[in-house]
Amino acid sequence: MADKRSTLLKSVSKPGRYSGGEYGQVIKNKKAINARFAFCFPDTYEIGMSNLGVRILYGALNAQDDIWCERVYAPWVDMEEKMRQMQMPLTAHESGDPVGDFDIVAFTLQYELSYTNVLNMLELARIPLYAADRGEDAPIVIGGGPCAYNAEPMADFFDCFSIGEGEENLVEFTRLYIKMKLAGTYNRRDFLHEAAKLRGIYVPSLYRVTYNEDNTVNSYEPIYDDIPRRVTKSIIKDMDKAYFPKDLVMPYIETVHDRIMLEVYRGCIRGCRFCQAGMVYRPVREKTPEVLCNQAKCLFEATGYDEISLSSLSISDYSRLPELCDLLLDWTPKNMVNLSLPSLRVDNFSRELMEKVESVRSSSLTFAPEAGTQRLRDVINKNVTEEELMNTVGTAFEGGKSSVKLYFMNGLPTETEDDLRGISELASRVIDKFYRTPNRPKRAPQVTISVACFVPKPFTPFQWEPQDDLETLKKKQEFLRSIITDRKIRYNHHDAEVSRVEAVLARGDRRMSAAIFEAHRAGQKFDAWSEFFSYENWLAAFDAAGLDMSFYANRRFGDDEILPWEIIDCGVTREFFARERDRAYAEKTTKNCREQCSACGANKLGGERSWCPNTKNPL
Amino acid sequence: MVSEYKKSALSTFDKHEMKPLAEPMPIRLRFRKTGDLQYISHLDLQRVMSRVLVRSGIPVWYTQGFNPHAKMVFSMPLAVGTQSLCEYLDIKIDKKISTDEILARINSEVTDEMRFSAAYVPKSKLSEIALVSYEIELCAKDADPEKIEKLLTTHPLVMKKRSKAGDREVDILDYFKSVEVKREENIKLCITLTAGEGSLNPEMIIAALRENLGILTSDEESYTVMRTGVYFADGRAFE
Repeated sequence: MADKRSTLLKSVSKPGRYSGGEYGQVIKNKKAINARFAFCFPDTYEIGMSNLGVRILYGALNAQDDIWCERVYAPWVDMEEKMRQMQMPLTAHESGDPVGDFDIVAFTLQYELSYTNVLNMLELARIPLYAADRGEDAPIVIGGGPCAYNAEPMADFFDCFSIGEGEENLVEFTRLYIKMKLAGTYNRRDFLHEAAKLRGIYVPSLYRVTYNEDNTVNSYEPIYDDIPRRVTKSIIKDMDKAYFPKDLVMPYIETVHDRIMLEVYRGCIRGCRFCQAGMVYRPVREKTPEVLCNQAKCLFEATGYDEISLSSLSISDYSRLPELCDLLLDWTPKNMVNLSLPSLRVDNFSRELMEKVESVRSSSLTFAPEAGTQRLRDVINKNVTEEELMNTVGTAFEGGKSSVKLYFMNGLPTETEDDLRGISELASRVIDKFYRTPNRPKRAPQVTISVACFVPKPFTPFQWEPQDDLETLKKKQEFLRSIITDRKIRYNHHDAEVSRVEAVLARGDRRMSAAIFEAHRAGQKFDAWSEFFSYENWLAAFDAAGLDMSFYANRRFGDDEILPWEIIDCGVTREFFARERDRAYAEKTTKNCREQCSACGANKLGGERSWCPNTKNPL
Repeated sequence: MVSEYKKSALSTFDKHEMKPLAEPMPIRLRFRKTGDLQYISHLDLQRVMSRVLVRSGIPVWYTQGFNPHAKMVFSMPLAVGTQSLCEYLDIKIDKKISTDEILARINSEVTDEMRFSAAYVPKSKLSEIALVSYEIELCAKDADPEKIEKLLTTHPLVMKKRSKAGDREVDILDYFKSVEVKREENIKLCITLTAGEGSLNPEMIIAALRENLGILTSDEESYTVMRTGVYFADGRAFE
């Protein structure tokens, strides 16, 4: 018998993406299993294997004896072509069994541009794309991850969504499935009805949406009396006690983040007004240094990785960072392990800290001022001053660094030409600072500025804001290019058309499923990869679905409008977002959670060791 | 509430308690690279191996330079798609540990597809490998053993060989030391090739079968390539 799998793997690029068999993968006896769970990442293996959340959830589910969670990734285009040609279905990594035969098929929605990959993977798995078309034998398809906070554009394709933090929620959900299967009470409809009563589980088909004549949402009505009117996100109360893996699946091929990622805390004290992560992961919950150090040691022994990355939204805001670094540095150097801190903020970055975590190899540092002038930084509540930035880059230059990467956004609310000029001027002053630093390195300085387009996101103070239209975005990008003349400054910007589609999908409602379906039918996949993104195909898809992109991207959503994502309660209140939006227009900053509580509302979700000891009641 | 960190039975951290050696000592390891590991490139294998060594707690000697790393020298790199029963890896250790313990430790950190079968102090250099044998198994319905034997024994069998200097045409049979065609359930080719400078990737033999005999061209056919032995120039098994 010819070995079809071997023929397939020998005919594609990077077969190590598909071959599996990694050290640390979980194999279980199918006979001792009550539920088979396929955890799908709708992008390549290299990206999917780098996701900390997936690694946590894989471990948490497999910690249950009678649940077997396996991994599934999107096949690259050459593999997909070959699979279709050989009529081979999408299979799970560990067992090689068809994904369509699983009990539960989960997709993590990390970015909007992976939506077409979800549909493509469902198709390859031979699972009906529309939830309404799935029969009793089809798997339950559940979505999660950051984009699930506005799941509406994908609502037609999912049986349900897990909103919020999944470590406990997904286990509870799967246990309910097992309970009903074993009791013989399982059928799709009853199961979804029961699941909708669980905290954090949103079953879109159980909520009827009506629209106004102007196409805005009129209402969300639950079709049963015993399910919540709004779905509250699930949340881990004590991070020290939360599940964290003791070992990892070790990829054989190189992945994007091939290292130990240690989640130090969840949430963010800052409150940048464009940032969805900083809002929906509230309130801040820290782990203690002792727990973190033990987890790091455990993972080091289990993996042999030579780098530990402290991962959180803004790592230097961790209240016990020096203690943690000391605990880790006690054993990492003699074991040849490097410590790295991504996402350092510019305001509290110290020389001492830099020396402690210096990885000799890198000569570059990254900062995100996000806007070019103090006025605009105040508007977005990025509480960073130019002086702080200059002090920080000065420290970095003295410490031997010569290249600096600066992240900005254009198209932010209230932006003017001055703000754009500010980006270029700020970069120039960083170059000046280099030459004014006495102990600077002998190399020439290099400042790279990377400018993204503002994308208004649900559950942020800017959720109502319009995105600049395409022409304006492009004009601004051109303007910036024209005023940056210094060759020591390198200028990159995001693709405006991609950012527009992101904005459309981010703020979409349920009717948008039709447009995503059309894009899939037109062959769209891997939209996050520039070689596959096609704006023309997306335009055509929206036309075919009878939807207007501008309605979603360029419209100022109304103050009294029901927003499509308000079926979800992320803890932070609409009133807080509105207050913050008004303060943005008044160019007023808001203090961080540690300095003063701004009554965002997230504390009502509970959480020991949160940053909210002095919580105000919602105003 | 904080539980103490517990070392596992064979701990990565054990190496710190071993006695230092006066001089780093060379150790040769023999392992296999079979099954799905055939799809992993040599570059990836190197990275994987350094992690295996770290977590096994073997006191590997690190280079002393600007960017310290575990010193590893591999025998001839395998092409993606080729399995092997006889891969060699030379390392150095700088603390006292028995070869049995090295073997036990390392085998507790790899899957069966990468099982290690020997650890010893080498008496030869990896560069003394002069011959390498492969077993190629064909699952191809129209494969005719006589035709295959004729093809693989009749000079010249010219194929385009890619190298850094550009493509050039070579008679691949010049690399052949011996060839045997066996008819079992499938056809098996036992081939010994010269190794060392400018060795031949066995995939070239597959390509020659494809181009000249039209086999292994459909999705209904498959093949495996297994490196089965490496030898000194005089034909003795390498060790």
